[in-house]
Amino acid sequence: MFDIFLLEAVINGVLLGGVLALLALGLNLVFGVIDVVWICYAELVMVGMYTIWWLFVHYGVPLPIAIAAAIALVSLCGVALHQLVIRPVLGTPPINQLLVTGGVLFFMQAAATLAFGVEFRNLGLRMPIVEVSDMFFSFARILAFGTALVGVLVLWLFLTRTYLGTAIRAISQDREIMPLMGVDPRKIYLTTSAIGGGMAGVAASLLALQYDVHPAIGLSFGPITFMICVLGGLGNMAGGFIAAFVFAQFISVGGFYFQIEWGYVLAFAFFIVMMFVKPQGLFSR
Amino acid sequence: MVGDRCLRRGVLAAFGAVALATSALAQPREIKIGVIYDYTGPFAAGGSLAAAIGTKHAIEMINERGGVEGYRINAIYADAQSRTEVAINEATRLLEQERVDLIMGVFSSAHCVPMAQRVNQQRRFMWANVCVASSVFKDRNLEYVFRAQVHSDQFGEASCTFVHEVAQEKLGRQPRDVRVAIIYEDGPYGAGVAAGNEAKCKELGMNVVLKEGYAATAPDLSSLVTKLRRERPDVILHTGYNPDITLFLRQSRELGLRWRALIGHGAGYGQIDRLVAGFGRDADYIFNVDPVAAQLLNPASLAPGLGDVTAEMVRRYKAETNAQEVPPHTSMGFNQTWIFLTDVLPRAIRNHGGFDPEALRKASLETDIPEGGTIQGYGVRFNPPGHPMAGQNARSTPVVMQYIGGETKIVWPRALRTVDPVIPLPANHPYAAR
Repeated sequence: MFDIFLLEAVINGVLLGGVLALLALGLNLVFGVIDVVWICYAELVMVGMYTIWWLFVHYGVPLPIAIAAAIALVSLCGVALHQLVIRPVLGTPPINQLLVTGGVLFFMQAAATLAFGVEFRNLGLRMPIVEVSDMFFSFARILAFGTALVGVLVLWLFLTRTYLGTAIRAISQDREIMPLMGVDPRKIYLTTSAIGGGMAGVAASLLALQYDVHPAIGLSFGPITFMICVLGGLGNMAGGFIAAFVFAQFISVGGFYFQIEWGYVLAFAFFIVMMFVKPQGLFSR
Repeated sequence: MVGDRCLRRGVLAAFGAVALATSALAQPREIKIGVIYDYTGPFAAGGSLAAAIGTKHAIEMINERGGVEGYRINAIYADAQSRTEVAINEATRLLEQERVDLIMGVFSSAHCVPMAQRVNQQRRFMWANVCVASSVFKDRNLEYVFRAQVHSDQFGEASCTFVHEVAQEKLGRQPRDVRVAIIYEDGPYGAGVAAGNEAKCKELGMNVVLKEGYAATAPDLSSLVTKLRRERPDVILHTGYNPDITLFLRQSRELGLRWRALIGHGAGYGQIDRLVAGFGRDADYIFNVDPVAAQLLNPASLAPGLGDVTAEMVRRYKAETNAQEVPPHTSMGFNQTWIFLTDVLPRAIRNHGGFDPEALRKASLETDIPEGGTIQGYGVRFNPPGHPMAGQNARSTPVVMQYIGGETKIVWPRALRTVDPVIPLPANHPYAAR
């Protein structure tokens, strides 16, 4: 028997997948090229959300300009993160890189608490209600889904159709040889960090429409984003994109059929099983 | 020469002795209290900070009045960071390194349950201020942990009893025909209140159509909202912190969930300023079950002088935070501290020889404050050892409040009612069932 509520849960899962895919894109790009996991990625998203809130609510800056400023700022944060934190530990064991970006995570949470307090902030916007045949969908999620699709397409075009994008892909495949071919890895790393940061800024602009921002918001998204990247194959952008939708369906449909907590349990169980079956990720070659 | 040297040594020794004695006399007599709250992390804005400020102001006021029986209260504040392991570590640090005389505070029940167990095992003393989970005490026979605060079973009972009382008159149907959904964060606090909800609603013959928990940090509640839409509840009983409450309200609006009444149970629902900031007029008519915010009570119904204490609490809170409304958490933090410092602690010092855990335990068990004897109205009498809820106040009661026009009104119990409850939601309200 056709269940319209189940169909709504499936579609909402697809839309949630868009949000998660958007978050995973930047993290995957950075890992694929620089081979470093930004554990503090969700905190960069938090910086973007605070920027939008601050400009829009406090200074009355029009939302599109506030969003553009946030994307630019988070992009700069990505560059600063690479220059000040990542670069000094690039040649060291991966645990050092994890620890320093983990340190940045706590630093950013503490800095946000000092700067903005512990309150939950939001833009105070009411999104339109989208109703189709007795089913309801979040307008902000539809926006995030569309942006994720456009984002992955633009990123793919950039990586495959431009000289810089080709150089980025080349570096990610062989970081020893490419300097001999005239590619400056430092420039590529900086560019990648800027793009990765920019993607976090884009994600921030869409999350700010759906969630309150507070210093601990990274706790809600950081671990799940990281798991999606690992599930899709760290550094594999297409894999991460698809894994986000797989994960979201477990959460949404699993949560619909069972207790909502079971949706997450099923998603995490699937993740653990896949780590045994395909430790390199679902879409590793 | 030898005599001179002896004399000099003697004089120096005498000066030294006098200096030491003077310094000892100059040491103020003090009682060290370790105060633990969540000053950072999601619980901070969910009410912990408001409670912490209340506790701090109570301690300051007592010290300004000369302390307790000649002892100054030296509060050592610790941040649990909204993380249970940090809360436990901080309690250990305060007890073992700072050597505090007792532990006080604690917002989250998730912290409170293990902390109470541990402190009790060490035979140290803990005075719980805000955490409400019944599981802190239920069947644990704690000897050195006491709580004057309302407990979660009472939260659960209050909302069901309220709905039962108004069903026929306001909703136009028999209580058994009222469809009730219970949703909750799945920690000890949410699960405890939800268990109380379920037991009481079923006892009263009401129709519980859904009971479901979720993690307070869940990034998505859309499938829960879809299920609620499928079950078409008249009344939703919700227990949550933040940001889950704001996420639920936002996703409910976007995903077309409507109801006749939404009843929250403290924590995020106790923060009217923040609800209004986030949802504007949409926050109107939300109910909240909590120990009453003291400023809402008629001072004439309280013991002499308590009205002035409440007024001073409100004045200090507003001066420190610039808030328009003083949340119930401030009263909870203040009231529990005030009860301890003005009733239990003086009795321990006077009648039991000091403030070691044994003296504090005996003094706590002798507490007998009648109704109207605290700023939140309820009295205090702790369940004795051997009772299933030993250490819990047997005289505490919550109230049901409603937010109307950005202000908090009391709607239950009838004896304290300051306004007739608005239920069901007015038809033009965005969340009103159609």
